[in-house]
Amino acid sequence: MASTETPPHGRSHRVRLQYFAMLALKNLFRYRRRTVVTASAVAFGVAIFVAMASLLNGLAAEGDRNLANYETSSAAITGAGYWRQREEYPLDILVENTGQILSVLDADGVAAAPRVAFRGELIVHYDPYPEDGSVYLALYGIDVERDPQVFRLAETVNEGRLPEPGEDGILISAWLAERLGAELSYPVTITTRTRDGFHQILDMDIVGIYQTPNPTVDRSQIYLPLDVVDTYLEMQGAVTAIHLALPEPVPGAADLGPVKEALERDREGVGGTGIELLSFAEMTEEFAAAVEIQDVAFNIVLVLLGFIAVVGISNTMLMAVLEREREIGMMRAIGMRDGEIRLMFALEAAAIGLLGAAAGLLLGARLVWYLVNHGIDYGTLLEGVEMDFRFADVLYGVWSVRTMFTAAVGAAMLAAVVALLPVRAILRREITESLRRH
Amino acid sequence: MITVTDVHKEYLDGETHVRALRGVSLEIEKGEFLSIAGPSGSGKTTLLNVIGCIDTVDSGSVLIDGLAVTGGKKGDLIEIRRNKIGFVFQSFNLIPVLTAYENVAMALSLLGLPESQIRERTMNLLAEVGLSNMEGRRPAKLSGGQQQRVAVARALVKDPLIVLADEPTANLDSETGEAILQLMKGINQRRGTTFVFSTHDQMVMDYADRLCRLHDGLIESDELRRSA
Ligand SMILES: Nc1ncnc2c1ncn2[C@@H]1O[C@H](COP(=O)(O)OP(=O)(O)OP(=O)(O)O)[C@@H](O)[C@H]1O
Ligand SMILES: [Mg+2]
Repeated sequence: MASTETPPHGRSHRVRLQYFAMLALKNLFRYRRRTVVTASAVAFGVAIFVAMASLLNGLAAEGDRNLANYETSSAAITGAGYWRQREEYPLDILVENTGQILSVLDADGVAAAPRVAFRGELIVHYDPYPEDGSVYLALYGIDVERDPQVFRLAETVNEGRLPEPGEDGILISAWLAERLGAELSYPVTITTRTRDGFHQILDMDIVGIYQTPNPTVDRSQIYLPLDVVDTYLEMQGAVTAIHLALPEPVPGAADLGPVKEALERDREGVGGTGIELLSFAEMTEEFAAAVEIQDVAFNIVLVLLGFIAVVGISNTMLMAVLEREREIGMMRAIGMRDGEIRLMFALEAAAIGLLGAAAGLLLGARLVWYLVNHGIDYGTLLEGVEMDFRFADVLYGVWSVRTMFTAAVGAAMLAAVVALLPVRAILRREITESLRRH
Repeated sequence: MITVTDVHKEYLDGETHVRALRGVSLEIEKGEFLSIAGPSGSGKTTLLNVIGCIDTVDSGSVLIDGLAVTGGKKGDLIEIRRNKIGFVFQSFNLIPVLTAYENVAMALSLLGLPESQIRERTMNLLAEVGLSNMEGRRPAKLSGGQQQRVAVARALVKDPLIVLADEPTANLDSETGEAILQLMKGINQRRGTTFVFSTHDQMVMDYADRLCRLHDGLIESDELRRSA
């Protein structure tokens, strides 16, 4: 009998699959309302997901950029073990051979900027200030010529200027100026300690006011000329760090190899084991934890969106499947396998999911386009909120094809899973029972 | 070809036990045109379902082509249904989104034939059941009789060992029902396909070569009406 012949396998399988796909597709139009409702829910979820991901990725990228541009640079040379203790502003873990290192780097064409970071108390008095006040701050001696080649601080000076070498002038943030009631040319007194621990008092004038997109910098850092700091703190040429600007497409992607080699060549001259070369990743290790929290938050959002989508599509999907119980019973009676029936419904649901995902991606792409080009103005929202987060007032999104792809595939799979639950329930019933339904 | 021996089947309907089959034995030979007749609730559907491997028995045995199907594995039963059994249902049970052609071809595609063969066989059968030129219509665009013809074509297209039809004319007016019976009878005579159909309609019984009367889950009489 012809029916018992076993035909060549691969091709027969493909023909069968074609029929299943055809039936799945036709059923999309049979339950038009179901298709539209489900696809809309999926589209909504995908669009929100894509936009959220764009913003969160934008947040991470912005955070990295703000770290690199105003705090860490792409790499730094410090005294061995300095970075872990940098929040205490130690002046006993130093880079001693600053000049030698700079000439090695200069010879290699690597832009480098030495800085001395220290702590001090900034004191202001009534008249010209509205009232007496003092604040503990981080102070940075910066090489006025070299610093702009590595950091972008100079570009953010919007009143006055950078202090000049040898000048008793400081650069403070607009944020601090507003809180102190400070203006250009107002005097300040700074008390601190020298490298050897002796008390020192610096009388300075405000020569510039800056505003970076990095709140951490704005809220805690003021800048002075490196040579002035060197004199008052008796640093004898030593610095706390030499920051490097290396070519890199995104922060953290720089190749440290050449710098390492250059330093190796003059090992003794640059300070031997007394110094270390830190990558962006090493300097920002502690923020990686923050990013992980961000990832967790992201996953929670994802689960919530998934939940909304499931609730949105499960009812319509459920009805559309349960309504076809007798049809499923017939298919089983004429010899369709459970797996084939599941496959057919999965194809149908996945098609709805993909349809929704396509619409969601269109909408999402529109949202992302807006976020990339216009951003969201967070500034007013976060005014006065203390956050150890580095982002600007305006947050921009970034494009991520991978996220979009993930969202589309995820939506299709989600829809398939939701459809398969009622199918599974029906397949558990007796065929005769399904056939008796109306 | 098909041997049913002392089959018992009981359903639990809430608290009460319903004895649908109480020891049914039946021998069906190749090429028979057999009617199972009996009043409502006599066990006709149950018997057809047991023969069609979509229902189980409590005791007794069913052999198809010498193969015991009672207590068979699920996968084996699916293979038997797929390859050897054709079903015609009282309410047609066509897939509404598929055309007449697709409804028939879909069933055939399960056998894993190449598309060209599926096409040839499907078109031939649609012509045989009198639906040439209607292959592109969906069930909603066909009359009840035409829908049942599609269903007959679907059952026959795989060239099954046996076609089981549970009250195939119950949803049709008598004229259309008779036409379906003539169609099945013709196929039975031309091709030698075995048909077993249930009914409680005298006109339908009159078409049968052999008539089994079922009553309360027991075979009451089994008579040859004319030579097959
Ligand atoms: N799944 C089931 N659960 C409970 N009782 C059932 C089930 N299937 C059949 N029955 C009962 O078994 C008996 C035989 O049913 P069956 O459907 O085989 O009769 P039938 O001869 O086909 O009747 P009809 O002419 O009404 O179709 C009936 O009393 C019916 O109510
Ligand atoms: Mg019945």
